[in-house]
Amino acid sequence: MFEVRFHGRGGQGAVMAAQALASAAFSEGNYAVAFPYFGAERRGAPVLAFTRVDSKKIYRKTQVYEPDFVVVLDDSLLEMVDVTEGLKDGGVVVVNTRKKPEELALGENIKVATVDATGVALEVLGQPITNSSILGAFAKATGAVSMDAIEKGIMDIFGNKIGMKIAEKNCRAAKAAYDRTISADGRPREKEFEKKPKWLPDVKELPIGGAGVKMETNAGMIGPGSFLENKTGGWRTFMPIVENDKCVACQLCWYFCPEGCITMVPYDNNRFKKGIAIDLDYCKGCGICAHECPTHAIEMKR
Amino acid sequence: MKRVVTGNYAAAFAAMRARVNVVAAFPITPQTFIVEHISEFVNDGIMDCEFIRVESEHSAMSATVSASATGARAFTATASQGLALMHEILFTASGMRLPIVMPVVNRTLAAPIGIWAEMNDVMPERDAGWILAFVEDNQEVHDMVLQAYRIAEDNRVLLPMMVNLDAFILSHTVEPVDLMEPEDADRFLPSYKPEHAYLDPERPMGVGIFTPPEYIQEERYQTHAAMEGSKQVIKEVNDEFAKMFGRDYGGLVEEYRMDDAEVALLTLGTVTSTAREVVDNLRAEGKKVGLVKVRFLRPYPTDEIRSVASRVKAIGIYDRAISYGVGGPAYIEARSALYGHTDIPISNYLAGIGGRDVMLSDIEFMFNDLLKNAESGKVRKELVWINTRGVEQ
Repeated sequence: MFEVRFHGRGGQGAVMAAQALASAAFSEGNYAVAFPYFGAERRGAPVLAFTRVDSKKIYRKTQVYEPDFVVVLDDSLLEMVDVTEGLKDGGVVVVNTRKKPEELALGENIKVATVDATGVALEVLGQPITNSSILGAFAKATGAVSMDAIEKGIMDIFGNKIGMKIAEKNCRAAKAAYDRTISADGRPREKEFEKKPKWLPDVKELPIGGAGVKMETNAGMIGPGSFLENKTGGWRTFMPIVENDKCVACQLCWYFCPEGCITMVPYDNNRFKKGIAIDLDYCKGCGICAHECPTHAIEMKR
Repeated sequence: MKRVVTGNYAAAFAAMRARVNVVAAFPITPQTFIVEHISEFVNDGIMDCEFIRVESEHSAMSATVSASATGARAFTATASQGLALMHEILFTASGMRLPIVMPVVNRTLAAPIGIWAEMNDVMPERDAGWILAFVEDNQEVHDMVLQAYRIAEDNRVLLPMMVNLDAFILSHTVEPVDLMEPEDADRFLPSYKPEHAYLDPERPMGVGIFTPPEYIQEERYQTHAAMEGSKQVIKEVNDEFAKMFGRDYGGLVEEYRMDDAEVALLTLGTVTSTAREVVDNLRAEGKKVGLVKVRFLRPYPTDEIRSVASRVKAIGIYDRAISYGVGGPAYIEARSALYGHTDIPISNYLAGIGGRDVMLSDIEFMFNDLLKNAESGKVRKELVWINTRGVEQ
């Protein structure tokens, strides 16, 4: 049996990648299972997905705690999550990053493989959706499934969900990523990963009825206002660059921003100035502001 | 054709193969994909049914009841809050003896709000007059939806049926499923020919009408007798399905490694699947443990559970829900069935509430606890909260 854990963000397609890997392994005569673990379901939030493959029927319905392989769809997660947690000795971490594997210090006795899956996806698909590219990298780095099987898996899962033409494109992306994937032995971590403590109150400490007020715990701030610590801008692919000279202060971007990240910069006498400021701590890079701006004062850049 | 699909897909696909005439449903996580897949099948022209988009689950069940009362084969699906909103009409469906089939993706009923697996949504509906089946993997989701129509539409039964599957653990998990070919499905499940209720302008009739006390008690007895009678039908349908397709689920219960077992754990839903692995491991250590998969809570497999109790020294019941102040609903059912029939220790294990992962070590704990009970002949603890912070297990 081998077990895989996918780290991604909501919207990156980690779940479909895990499913396509299961389908790929199934096409080679295995039994295979894939399942997600969602936190709060929304675009950009960290998500986990798992694939479990065996030559015989799999009965275990638990999550994967000691994976053989880990796939990371977004290298901004490397700082937030201990992606190697529970990874078996000799295991492989496959990371979507522009860095070389030697540049990542993820631990010893493991193999690290990297590929610029975002670059491949932008090139082949015209969109930063990396879930197919990363599967090509997975096949190359682990050898656990063949590239042929990965293509079958993509055609099955992507094809049935979003159409055969797009699935074929995704197969091309996977193949391109396969060719560009490089591996190296893992380097020791420079410092141990500092695991963020989790607030786990017992039955006496837990607020009755879940009616929590804002409080400080060893896990940080809990309850109303906790987003002040939980900055969500880190999952951006594209960043809005504002040219305030072109801004006419129409406020359309302010109206349309789904995250409330845009503020109008006032004059000294508190009247509106021709300009905006974007709170990059929370901006997800959705690009709606740039799309709505009538004077093209906002441009999205990677 | 074997494909790697989710539990939700398996349910939607089986509804298509059952050639249901009417689907009325409202989406709710984690059931949403059942409705989405069906709307795609209809849009793609591969499923010929009336797909009714409604504004709530109350309306979904109302429309499904109405459709079934015209003699159509009707289908819907829901979860959690959606099932609670249907509550009133669930009694209409069973009271009118309409063979509706409804997958319920078991999810936490708020508050606190949660989207993960818990059976506290279906447990309050045990008295609604529906047959309640519980499944353990996606193949069983698919097979049970098809079997459900055979059971529900049988003239000895004529009751609606829920097929309960655990949120995410099945609904969003892909695994290989043998998806039935249309001709095989048609061979197993002929079209529905209603005899008791068929709203038709040519032959006017009233169903579910105003009924004074002179009649309702007899109506209730009829429904109770039908529920009792469904036990035989469930077994027959299981056997016929097994003969045709080679997949035998054992009927009301399935016993796993119960030969010479000294203790038995009764499970519902997906925990059964993980427990099989634990039983194999403990058997390899020489521990005489066995597993009983309870596939139905309504009708309750009273005889089967009594037979299990007569063969073991201790019995345990797993629950993914709690009836406050008493214990797990599956435990309450088992204890009631066993009253006066056994004096072996009976204990209840709560785990996986709110979707918490039920680990192999959790199930191992249950079996080892049962072995201790068997040895002492006493219940160490009646209600055991597994893995609950601040509570001694």
